[in-house]
Amino acid sequence: MIERFILDKNDLSYWLRQIRKNASLIAPVKSLVGDVVFESLEQIHEISLDHPLPPPSVKEFLFPQIETMFEYNGDEIKEIIDEEMRVVVGLRSCDASAIKIIDRFFAGETGSDYDMVHPNRKYKDPYYFSRRQNTVFISMGCNVPGAVCFCYNLGAGPFLDSGFDIQLIDLEDRYLVEADSEKGKGLVRRYDYLFRKVETGDLEDRFEALLSSISKFEKRIDLRETGQKIKNSMPDSFWQWVAERCFECGGCVYVCSLCTCFNIVDYNFSNQSGKRCRIWDTCLFKGFTEMAGRVIPQEKKEQRLKRWWFHKILYYPEQFKTFGCVGCGRCTITCPGHIDIATLSEKIMGWR
Amino acid sequence: MIENIYRPFKVIISEIKQLSENVRLFRLKLDREIDYLPAQFFMLGVWGAGEVPISVASTSGRDPYIEFGIRKVGKVTGALHELKAGEAVWMRGPFGNGFDLKTAHGRDIIFVAGGIGILPLRALINHILMERHFFGRLFLIYGSKRPSEMLFSDEIPLWKEAGIDVILTVDIKDGLWRGYTGVVTEHIDRIKTDFREACSYICGPEVMIENTVKELSLRGMPDHLINISLERRMKCGIGKCGQCYHGIEYICINGPVYTYEDIKKRLALYGA
Ligand SMILES: Cc1cc2nc3c(=O)[nH]c(=O)nc-3n(C[C@H](O)[C@H](O)[C@H](O)COP(=O)(O)OP(=O)(O)OC[C@H]3O[C@@H](n4cnc5c(N)ncnc54)[C@H](O)[C@@H]3O)c2cc1C
Ligand code: SF4
Ligand code: FES
Repeated sequence: MIERFILDKNDLSYWLRQIRKNASLIAPVKSLVGDVVFESLEQIHEISLDHPLPPPSVKEFLFPQIETMFEYNGDEIKEIIDEEMRVVVGLRSCDASAIKIIDRFFAGETGSDYDMVHPNRKYKDPYYFSRRQNTVFISMGCNVPGAVCFCYNLGAGPFLDSGFDIQLIDLEDRYLVEADSEKGKGLVRRYDYLFRKVETGDLEDRFEALLSSISKFEKRIDLRETGQKIKNSMPDSFWQWVAERCFECGGCVYVCSLCTCFNIVDYNFSNQSGKRCRIWDTCLFKGFTEMAGRVIPQEKKEQRLKRWWFHKILYYPEQFKTFGCVGCGRCTITCPGHIDIATLSEKIMGWR
Repeated sequence: MIENIYRPFKVIISEIKQLSENVRLFRLKLDREIDYLPAQFFMLGVWGAGEVPISVASTSGRDPYIEFGIRKVGKVTGALHELKAGEAVWMRGPFGNGFDLKTAHGRDIIFVAGGIGILPLRALINHILMERHFFGRLFLIYGSKRPSEMLFSDEIPLWKEAGIDVILTVDIKDGLWRGYTGVVTEHIDRIKTDFREACSYICGPEVMIENTVKELSLRGMPDHLINISLERRMKCGIGKCGQCYHGIEYICINGPVYTYEDIKKRLALYGA
């Protein structure tokens, strides 16, 4: 059951200051060059909540770009498990939706018949979950969706109905605070003197805000239709056309809230000691699947692009009953070739 | 704390045997009971070099040790080849599904191996010989590039004694070679069986697999009785890193063994 409260906007910084006493607080901050990024918050007033979505997703706080898994020294092996307490505030509904999905991925629980066909699939990733257990996410509903956003079509926004830790809905002078997970509820209960009870008027305002937000989406993308079309009728020449526009930068994968592929590499400090790390990797790079004898199963760029698309739009729904995309639009901001999910979907629907 | 499935355990090498110029067989002493199936694999590693997937070459329930045949091709396999008896390797596993034997009960079996594909098939053959009475007639076609690259020349006579019809073939023969020449598919018709009722286990380079499957299919072998062990690049072995992803499958957990029926349905799904 979701618990709802009202927080006066003036009390937000006090609440965050209290939270920061027991955990490191991460929030969107404007950097010196003007980019908004998720960072550990030094000064509470630096928090920047009225910004478009930060280009890097919050996945890095659960699955960092590079992380040490083990340190070795001769036969001595040390597991490096990150158990720092973190509270991340200011992520959006799409980010929170993505976390729900990658939770299932890293737990090895697809939640579909796929589990039953493959009973040995349930491997739980210890690095991801040690962070996940110690992190609380306070996401924000979006009253004004960005120009690149299409989360509404994917059921990943602008507000969420459930499955989050805490969700804040901006009601002009106050926040509607919704707590769903036990961790989220705990973070509200501990400071209950800051919150007051919800009244009918607050819920009416929430409803108004939601309707108004939904009416403001500029992008309408139906990935179900895109899926049908790439499954049945996109010619090889189309994928070649896409490949010509791909710079193989991997930007879309790095910013994507849902892409989780990685490589594992050992770095030596000396001839006996070093560390084993995992690093983000992408299926769009040619070396990704390279095997002995330089055999590369997905050698051509168009094959690799096609695989990324098929994975997100056709295979993800089969395995997880949801698309491998939450409509955050980050790849639209990032892709220099304009072959991001939204732009290319529109292209596919118009292709004949 | 969550169990760390990436954490390997240490095992001491008791014996190393040179099988060919660049393939060595490592015999390891296990200090714990581990059950595994033919065509399952372990991640074998050397700290500082990394980990690689290697199929078991020994047979659980028969051998009191575990064996891996490793071909030296690069960084990690090179580091493994540097190791001597008495030294340690680090391993985790077993991973993957392994060969399914139930569908083979009561049938003639054709094993087809190309190159080091014989390693997992050796585990399978020795397993099947343990339960010989469940199966019909057994045939092995084993091809390598050169006679010097044929592995297990000391064990093949034992297989023959146990009643397996063995066909050995090489691409390039030398003066002493008394077996056949040519690729494995050229010798399929030497097998006297009803292909529509028999089943097969295939392991080797991808082109060899493709051609063998085609030939067996042509002779009427049903898709679900053609078993193939696939190879992909693997880093985690547990369906997380994505390196082995193909079609809708993580080969490391859903495979590496697929029937031809699965391959058509799940791996070539939608043609991606
Ligand atoms: C399920 C499975 C079972 C296997 N069983 C055996 C076995 O029993 N015996 C054996 O000798 N080999 C086996 N292999 C192949 C073996 O894993 C690779 O030869 C090994 O990973 C190469 O690693 P490397 O560090 O020595 O090579 P690298 O230095 O990494 O590079 C050499 C070449 O190998 C490629 N490579 C890297 N990782 C892999 C990989 N996982 N698979 C294939 N090529 C790769 C590189 O891209 C490069 O082209 C198996 C592979 C799989 C997937
Ligand atoms: S594919 Fe693009 S729109 Fe979809 S979640 Fe990833 S970055 Fe966002
Ligand atoms: S080896 Fe990592 S997903 Fe298969």
